[in-house]
Amino acid sequence: MDKHRIGFIGLGIMGRPMAGHLLAAGYELVVHDLDRTAVDSLVAAGAKAAASPREVAQQTTLMITMLPDSPDVEAVALGEDGLIAGATAGAIHVDMSTIAPSVAIRVNHVLGQKGVRCLDAPVSGGDVGAQKATLSIMVGGDQATFDEVLPIFRVMGKNIVLCGPAGSGQIVKACNQVLVAVTIAGVSEALVLGAKAGVDPLKIVQVLSGGLARCGILENRGQRMVKGDFAPGFRLRLHHKDLNIIMRTGNDYQVPLPVTSVVHELFTAAMGKQRGELDHSGLLTVLEDLAGQEARTQPTTEA
Amino acid sequence: MQATPQTTRIGFVGLGIMGAPMATNLLRAGYRLAVYNRSDRPRVDAVVAAGARRAGTPREVAANADVTITMVTDTPDVEEVILGREGVIHGAAAGATVIDMSTISPRATRRIAARLAERGVAMLDAPVSGGELGARNGTLAIMVGGAEEVFTACLPVLEAMGKTIIHVGASGAGQTAKLCNQVAGALNNLAVAEALMLAAASGLDARRVLQAISGGAAGSWMMSNIGPKILAGDFAPGFMVDLQQKDLKLVLEAANDVGVAMPGVSLVHQCFNAVQRAGLGREGTQALIKAYEMQHGVQARA
Repeated sequence: MDKHRIGFIGLGIMGRPMAGHLLAAGYELVVHDLDRTAVDSLVAAGAKAAASPREVAQQTTLMITMLPDSPDVEAVALGEDGLIAGATAGAIHVDMSTIAPSVAIRVNHVLGQKGVRCLDAPVSGGDVGAQKATLSIMVGGDQATFDEVLPIFRVMGKNIVLCGPAGSGQIVKACNQVLVAVTIAGVSEALVLGAKAGVDPLKIVQVLSGGLARCGILENRGQRMVKGDFAPGFRLRLHHKDLNIIMRTGNDYQVPLPVTSVVHELFTAAMGKQRGELDHSGLLTVLEDLAGQEARTQPTTEA
Repeated sequence: MQATPQTTRIGFVGLGIMGAPMATNLLRAGYRLAVYNRSDRPRVDAVVAAGARRAGTPREVAANADVTITMVTDTPDVEEVILGREGVIHGAAAGATVIDMSTISPRATRRIAARLAERGVAMLDAPVSGGELGARNGTLAIMVGGAEEVFTACLPVLEAMGKTIIHVGASGAGQTAKLCNQVAGALNNLAVAEALMLAAASGLDARRVLQAISGGAAGSWMMSNIGPKILAGDFAPGFMVDLQQKDLKLVLEAANDVGVAMPGVSLVHQCFNAVQRAGLGREGTQALIKAYEMQHGVQARA
């Protein structure tokens, strides 16, 4: 099969390195973003720029979107100058943004009526995963389309799973965000408890990382959290946005999420304290404020 | 100038469980009334039989009224009856007033008020608390947002329907106050449910416990009201779980807007989610106890 000519819309912290990998792998790329600098850097690397999503769709057979939120995806896919206005029957749209499952299903349905094949394929792994092409990609859609796009996914990610029909990728991503949020809250409470009781939180991170409580947050973020390093990574405000979606999704499916709901409110408190630009592990600071205790390692006690 | 039955014609849109008795109280106070309801119900006929004039659309109601009151279910309903194609906005004359007594989003309220203001129509948001009984007896608590002079002018109209009538601030403030009411109400409900659950699971006679604590520092309107209902296994609404959930969503949305955490509300919202999942969304809010009974396999009811 001939190689797809790929369109890429949304060249932010995630999209820019992802698009870069596709260029490096030899794909022809047509890009679009409102940020001129991001577009220029990819054009310099060999991509072609298009003025609108419609123009991207007119020039490509496979279109990838990587955008902040549901309304952005709706506008880019279905808006007046959107993909739908330029895409031909048989083309493929892969949305790699994290958005509401209900919106993903609707967008897929509307594009599907035009003969466009759709996958929802949100990712996990953050900016580091995007740069290293080690993203986890959770995909919703049909097997044939998935098989066709798989070589392209492999350029950007490692752990790539077809989870089920349209919307399934977003559902699994929502499950991922539930688990990560609750884990951050749990790690934060443990660190504050230990610190206030007089234990160096760095020791807690080191010990627990080997036990039953080991997890991605302790492993990737624990050392930085106890040093007060909350440079993003994945911004807290974006996780808060995801939790908004998740709570609505829980209501849609009538699944009570009592634990997530309280964690969601802690994220809301962090937003109220203007901490949305911190890494999501900055949720620690909310628990610290409640306890009147910072969970910081003391350099003097470090081995 | 203050409203009087001689000088002020009133329109009323939405003759539901709350709206019909409220409209009847306005008739009783001597006001001329034009009314509209989406569907024809015996309730509507009764209000018409008591002297109200039936109109074909909200627009027609407003065209015959100096003050138009809306009392419908949710934000989209209010948008439809006020801003819709046959909405109040197309019938109301400049200088008229709209009073929305539904419980809806403060944000949407401010948007609707701004649209009406473009036509020279004033708006008060005036949601109520007190339930069907309060509507019938004319004893509702009414919390009002909007301009002071509009509030003062409309006060006699509100006094025909309620007792505790407080002007809390600018447009949207009435709705926000109502959401505060829902916060306290829902968490009171949760408190009653947990207390009765502990009593029952410990093998105590929940009836006696309720009797003992109702008069003390933990006593509340909610406890006195729903406590006996729970113990009697009476889950008829009062106030339906589905509507409570609609209000709690508005609470969380409004709290989100100002960045304040509501861990208690979010938890009770999820407990009600479990009640809805069990197919009990049309029961009264006292059915919250069933979320606990489902977890523990113990009935709190004596």
